[in-house]
Amino acid sequence: MPSMSDRPSLPAPSDGDRSERPDSRAALPKLWRNLTELAGAPSISPEEIPPEVGELVHLGRRGFLQVLGGSAAVMGLAACRPPHEKLVPYVHQPVEVTPGTPQAYATAVAIDGLATGVLVTSYQGRPTKVEGNPAHPSSLGAIGTFEQATLLDLYDPGRARGREVLGQPFALRPFLVRASELAASHDADKGARLRFLVGPSSSPLIGDLRRRLLERFPRARFRTWAPLSEDARTEGSRVAFGQPLDPRLHLDKASVVLALDADLFGTDPEALRQSREFTSRRNPGPDLNRLYVAETTLTVTGGFADHRFRMRPSEVLGFGQAIAAALAERHGLAQLRPLGHSLPAGSPHLRAAAAVAADLARSRGKCLVAVGPGQPPAVHALGHALNAALGADGATITYRQPVLHDTQTGPDGLRELAAEIAAGQVDTLVCTAWNPAYSAPADLDFGGLLRKVPHSIYLSTRQDETWARCNWKLGATHPFESWGDARGRDGTASIVQPLLAPLWETTSEAELLSAILGEGRSTYDQVRDLWRSRARLAGPAFEQAWSAWLAQGIVPATAEPVVRATPRWEAIAAAVGAVKLPTGGLEVRFAPDAKVLDGRFAENAWMQELPDPITSLCWDNAAQVSPATAGQLGIDNGAVVKLTCRDRSIEAPVWIVPGHADGAVTLPLGYGRATTVPQPVELDNKPEPLANGIGFDAYRLRRSTAFWFDAGLAVTATGRRWTFAVQQGDFAQEGRPHALSYTNGDWPKQGTHEVEEHRGPQPVIIEPVNYDKEAYKWGMAIDLSRCTGCSACVIACQEENNIPVVGREQVQRRRQMHWLRIDRYFSGTAEDPVTISQPVACVHCESAPCEYVCPVNATVHSDEGLNEMIYNRCVGTRYCSNNCPYKVRRFNFLDYRGEMEPTEKMLMNPDVTVRVRGVMEKCTYCVQRIERSRIQARVEGRPIREGEVKSACQQSCPTEAIAFGNLNDPTSRVAALHRDERRYDLLHDLGTRPRTAYLVRITNPNPELT
Amino acid sequence: MSTAPNQLLADDPLEPYPLMVGRPDDRTVTEDVLRPIWRPTRKGWLMLVGLGSVGVALFGLAVTVTFAVGIGAWGNNIPVAWAFDITNFVWWIGIGHAGTLISAILLLFQQRWRTSINRMAEAMTLFAVMMAGAYPLLHLGRPQFFYWLFPYPSTLGLWPQFKSPLLWDVFAVSTYFTVSFLFWYLGLIPDLASLRDASKHRWQRMVYGIFALGWRGSAHHWRHYRIAYLLLAGLATPLVLSVHTIVSFDFAVSVLPGWHTTIFPPYFVAGAIFSGFAMVLTLMIPARRYLGLEHFVTMRHLENMAKVILATGLMVDYGYVMENFFAWYGGNPYEAFAFWNRSHGPYAWAFFTQMTCNVLVPQLLWFRKLRTSVAVLWVISILVNVGMWLERFNIIVVSLHRDFMPTMWGIYTPTWVDWSLFIGTIATFGTLFLLFLRAVPAVSASEVKELRRQLDAEAAGGGTHAVPHLSQTRPEAS
Repeated sequence: MPSMSDRPSLPAPSDGDRSERPDSRAALPKLWRNLTELAGAPSISPEEIPPEVGELVHLGRRGFLQVLGGSAAVMGLAACRPPHEKLVPYVHQPVEVTPGTPQAYATAVAIDGLATGVLVTSYQGRPTKVEGNPAHPSSLGAIGTFEQATLLDLYDPGRARGREVLGQPFALRPFLVRASELAASHDADKGARLRFLVGPSSSPLIGDLRRRLLERFPRARFRTWAPLSEDARTEGSRVAFGQPLDPRLHLDKASVVLALDADLFGTDPEALRQSREFTSRRNPGPDLNRLYVAETTLTVTGGFADHRFRMRPSEVLGFGQAIAAALAERHGLAQLRPLGHSLPAGSPHLRAAAAVAADLARSRGKCLVAVGPGQPPAVHALGHALNAALGADGATITYRQPVLHDTQTGPDGLRELAAEIAAGQVDTLVCTAWNPAYSAPADLDFGGLLRKVPHSIYLSTRQDETWARCNWKLGATHPFESWGDARGRDGTASIVQPLLAPLWETTSEAELLSAILGEGRSTYDQVRDLWRSRARLAGPAFEQAWSAWLAQGIVPATAEPVVRATPRWEAIAAAVGAVKLPTGGLEVRFAPDAKVLDGRFAENAWMQELPDPITSLCWDNAAQVSPATAGQLGIDNGAVVKLTCRDRSIEAPVWIVPGHADGAVTLPLGYGRATTVPQPVELDNKPEPLANGIGFDAYRLRRSTAFWFDAGLAVTATGRRWTFAVQQGDFAQEGRPHALSYTNGDWPKQGTHEVEEHRGPQPVIIEPVNYDKEAYKWGMAIDLSRCTGCSACVIACQEENNIPVVGREQVQRRRQMHWLRIDRYFSGTAEDPVTISQPVACVHCESAPCEYVCPVNATVHSDEGLNEMIYNRCVGTRYCSNNCPYKVRRFNFLDYRGEMEPTEKMLMNPDVTVRVRGVMEKCTYCVQRIERSRIQARVEGRPIREGEVKSACQQSCPTEAIAFGNLNDPTSRVAALHRDERRYDLLHDLGTRPRTAYLVRITNPNPELT
Repeated sequence: MSTAPNQLLADDPLEPYPLMVGRPDDRTVTEDVLRPIWRPTRKGWLMLVGLGSVGVALFGLAVTVTFAVGIGAWGNNIPVAWAFDITNFVWWIGIGHAGTLISAILLLFQQRWRTSINRMAEAMTLFAVMMAGAYPLLHLGRPQFFYWLFPYPSTLGLWPQFKSPLLWDVFAVSTYFTVSFLFWYLGLIPDLASLRDASKHRWQRMVYGIFALGWRGSAHHWRHYRIAYLLLAGLATPLVLSVHTIVSFDFAVSVLPGWHTTIFPPYFVAGAIFSGFAMVLTLMIPARRYLGLEHFVTMRHLENMAKVILATGLMVDYGYVMENFFAWYGGNPYEAFAFWNRSHGPYAWAFFTQMTCNVLVPQLLWFRKLRTSVAVLWVISILVNVGMWLERFNIIVVSLHRDFMPTMWGIYTPTWVDWSLFIGTIATFGTLFLLFLRAVPAVSASEVKELRRQLDAEAAGGGTHAVPHLSQTRPEAS
């Protein structure tokens, strides 16, 4: 029996020399307590200890202590396994492990094969926080929701574990034997009946294993499957340039950006970098950039755009062609003429296309066109053509070789594999791709086919839909538990180093592939050998380089070189001319979900409870429609409808989204799950699958031939209703000056005058405390011009501050615990709303309404101006929340933290109190980080420096919209922002003197379109 | 001795109803007042107590669930962090106001009609304050630390926050309960002595004897009793005004639109007396009939209470008008919205029911025919209490559910625990009142005797209204 019931144990931090415990006793000089002892007489008189004591245990005192010490040492040895593999902490941290002092390790989180460099804070071998690695080109120090949420997955007691072969549990060694036997059975026909279905990967290690597997089994095949495949993007570049190339947008160099169905700041793999680059120019003035978005579903990017044109998915190509036509006819870009096609008269986007074309033409060489993966290759090719014609190539957009091992990750490869399985040509399928039985297009019936494979090996972190259909089941190791490597979108490689030993009996992808190869080497050795040979280094030089790579989180000079790309105009024109788009009836668009992506985060409670950045739905997806379409269909929010498309139908509840395109329905993927969780005997509370029973499964409508959108959707009301859990109460500002926004034209002429009224301390009767003489006056500034509403800060805050999730029913009761929330307001018309996002946490009022109403002094002010919450003094009258005009206080209505499993406890940040039932809590400005910096500063005898204390929200923010620091330091960024003419104070007329200031959002609409 | 109802009505419409029907002698008064205690238990009373006990059990269950599960067992949320809990608290405290007003203020103003109703009203006050007091304790997130609200010399060196109105509440309510209890108990002592002397069983004599504190009815006793009673009345009088003023500070001191209003203190006091008198009527109308005391608690009493309800109701109406006027005239958009939202938001039904019950219904009391109809009075008294409960609901829940930040607006829906606590306190209150009716005289025999002598003296001496000194009119009781 494998040790499946092993309790998770705290793995030892691996600092190299733990096992050495020199016996210090031998080296000590003789010790004596009194002169009698020194003289050699027994120091304890016989009367003190009766002689029977020694007789009873048959041991002398020394003997007893020796045995005691010996057993303690042996027990200690058992607990601290000497590490076999050396981890190197992040370079800016001390090398020694000091108890209570966290260390940050650089590693990488790869989603669909594309790595984002992260720094993981770890307390004595317990990772508690994922932060961005400033050295990594895809992170630049920022961190997204998904990368952070992987940490919760790590500790999830519902993770798949163990190894099961045809119903029998296997320990590691017998499993390796069994796997190599299976592999040997394929040697005869050189793997003709062996297939691999893997997820997208850029890992050189996996690439090397694949190469060696194909050497041994030349007739075996690797297929890559990703439900959010970017095949159209790859294919588009193949059409345009004759080879698959990966475009890289340099948004910091672009003055005008046109996004065609591209969610640049939302679910795009490069969203962090793109957000940072775009908002780096989001300052009022002549340099302010402009973003046009043409899209169906209102996305984070669309909400942030200066102009948003809503259209059905099939209309995007026409819009792009109209721009090409206008550029060709009016702006002299003749090479675009064959691609152009004017919009029909009466189209709502005629004016828009002309204006966008004119704006692009004005900014030649400083503009770019981005196309989203949901558009067909022809639109991508058109985008490349536009970029080439506008002089963007090489200036605002560069091309590189794709880093993924397989350029084809979409339904075409899966269809071929399905055909092979159906034909009985596959004996062994090794599946490491994420949940193909659930996520494969419905017309392939992949889940059913899996049962036909004699040996279907599935490696997964979850007991998901595919798990149930395979007969070799392996719990997968979390990336924070295993060695590996991965490359970012530009090719920059990172060594993935483990933060802790595997919590459960699990297998990594590299281990599985090695097992099939029959290799016994550890992954650690494999990674090191591979990189030793790649770097052409040996001995100490390699060790030095290796340490540096681990410390920095990147391997320098591994980015793919920029490739010069020449568009093939005829091929593009032919592709654009030949494209056939589904039309007729309602269109359906399949979209990645902002919370669960394609479904892989469905079991992640943080992501489920995160309000959708646009709809604010928690624990649900919904069929999104526009108000006009809902009116035509006669449905309202919460109505359950039957969606039928080409003989397939599903039922889904409806959510009406302002700004959604008319005549289209958006179906977010990833819900409607049927997973199971292991029920380990050692756990007190049996975990339950979170994602079952909520939302609907949009994959059941998705066909391999209409992968991203389809037409001919029929919607019929079922008469039933569904109650959503929505975080936000109202989406209108109700005429209140909460989130202020001005256009570049109105600012500063009109705006500065108006904003004056929302700023500065109100006169009050009682003289307010003067904090100017304090050494530190902590404050925050949030720039609404930069906030996209991506919600990374919400998860960062949750992770840092041990904030519990409360579940769907409690969210419906409006008891969510997020200290930081993102308010989003719609204004203007329901058809084309203006969206504005405003992060709101405790603003730390200098004269705080919450403080004077607390009867027990549980919330008080610090000398430095923090509004502090003393949890263990709180009796829970909730008066403070009633009197908080910002409604940022959160109450533990139930025992949200009462029943944590051992691994869940490991997640807790030891610097932050875990709150009990019945107490109030709220944002603390990350006081634990301030105090940690203060300790360090005091040790070094200096004041806390600017930039030394970063709040968790600030640290994660991809757009640097949040600044935090000392307002008494005139050179600090936050002080500068407080002095900014755009600064205003939320609800300042109440006299609260908030320490968090907001900066007015400035948009840059095109005067021709207003 | 019972009197036919038609004899209770005065023939001349300009002549007020008599304060006492007939002129029973002292012995008859004592017998009439004590009869409900000595007579065998009646089935109706038993059934009511049984029903009440079910409610008490429900209350116990709801309290247990609240303590075991937490405030999450209720419907409270963020933004509506206070809901049924504080609504019920304010409602019960308000109800408690009639007792003190009747016993203290009317005594000082020498209103003789208080004499036969003060005992019941005071008992009601006590029980209402007990019910009210339960809520602040129950609504704490960590009720085990309730004592942190008291200023005691803690080893932590921490005091409560004296700026918080919740702390003022602790003082106000505990003082109020103490003074009300002393007042009620002091007034009971002569009657307890009567009960002791009339007891037929040894255990009854023992129990009543202990509580009668050795009262023998000597002149010294009466003298000290009189002084103490007047002193307590003087102490209790400011409490009538202060307690609900302080309760209103819970709201007025905050920044929340709909709460932050300077008119709250007088408006709350008027509302409290309004609802308190309504509750006295609700209880007294059936009680006087059940106890057969219609000749002591006459239509004169009921009518006077109806007039108080009408008068305080008009004050409350003035409060409503002013509140809305300020919201409009003040030019604060948040406050204007809060009041607009009461009549146009999702809780508009509560607003309109409140207005109907508190503004329209009491206007019926202008008509003598209606205010002298026992049935009409009883229905009106219940409606007034429904209206006053909804008034507190509107102030608390409806103001909270939509305040400054629209994104944090929400809806409050009570759970079964909320309802059980509410129904449970009503049942507990009712049960305590029923037990009170069985255990001690519901009408003060000594004071009725005193009143009878005054009336006799007036009839003989040509209408002096001065209250004779008690020592001169000492009844022969006990």
